[in-house]
Amino acid sequence: MTARIDFHIHSCLSPCAALEMSPRAIVAGAIARGLDCIALTDHGCVENLPAFHEACAEAGLPCLYGMEATSSEEVHTLCLFDRLEPALEFGRMIYDAIMDFPNDPDRFGLQPVVTVDGEVTGFAEKLLFAATDISFFDLVPLALNAGALCIPSHIDRDYSGAVAQLGFLPDLPYDAVEVIAPNPPPGADKWPVVHFSDAHCPDDIGRRCTTVETDAYTVAALREAFLRQLPQ
Amino acid sequence: MKVSELEGLGFTCLQGEFDDIELAGGYTSDLLSDVMANLKEGQALITIQAHKNTIAVASLSGAAAVIFCHGRSAAADVLEAAAAEGIALFSTPDNQFDATVKLAAALGA
Repeated sequence: MTARIDFHIHSCLSPCAALEMSPRAIVAGAIARGLDCIALTDHGCVENLPAFHEACAEAGLPCLYGMEATSSEEVHTLCLFDRLEPALEFGRMIYDAIMDFPNDPDRFGLQPVVTVDGEVTGFAEKLLFAATDISFFDLVPLALNAGALCIPSHIDRDYSGAVAQLGFLPDLPYDAVEVIAPNPPPGADKWPVVHFSDAHCPDDIGRRCTTVETDAYTVAALREAFLRQLPQ
Repeated sequence: MKVSELEGLGFTCLQGEFDDIELAGGYTSDLLSDVMANLKEGQALITIQAHKNTIAVASLSGAAAVIFCHGRSAAADVLEAAAAEGIALFSTPDNQFDATVKLAAALGA
């Protein structure tokens, strides 16, 4: 099947995202823009994934369960699972590895954990985009071994991407690289290129997306689908 | 040395709503986690991290000014955050080393 996918979306849990990014609002936005499968990828925390799972299930929208992890070098990296449980387990390990720096909601934004009905049940305490003590060179194999698709975020942005933070794109077995511009930067053409929205507010959902031919919305099938996008 | 005197070093002021206090020194870093841990009150932060989170981190430490190197400009949300926090914002075509040397010399450090 041909599918339009957007695997980089933040909910209200991310301090930098709009508070109206509730799981249901994200799902409604994705359906309105004709997306076939989406992923929730909050910075450093997976606690809105259960509500996201419910919102997708009630709408019949296929989804992946993700997070955007921050390495010790402050490289942002998408880690995407096709089942909720391993995503929660991996994500909580990442949260534990974030530096001990409390969020200041007035400066960085609120970090609410919500139910599918949008009720706030608590707040993430640490500043979620702060660095973990896990090097990017360890983070990538860690995510892959946990069963995730691993995709470095916005590698062509001038901050928080692999090239901006490290000076180069290390030769690691990513499943794809996320690029903002229409074309990948030099040296990135050995990996499949994907475009996702990095939406932080409802209007941005699907502003960039990728069309793939895939048999299913599983890590294995999507990995194959991405590989097929490489020039033969 | 006062914050406003940074202009005398060839730094262009991008955001001018700030308290013109005496600078307590400088800190040069491009890693936010390092800035979070080590930037001190009243210091000027010299960095290439020209985005909104830099301003939030700097304000949390009580920084007096942020100086973006390599001529990096500030987007509207960055200017807005800096104005709201009363942090002076400058840009310079210098690299981090040259900007640091200039500031250190001016501070007599």
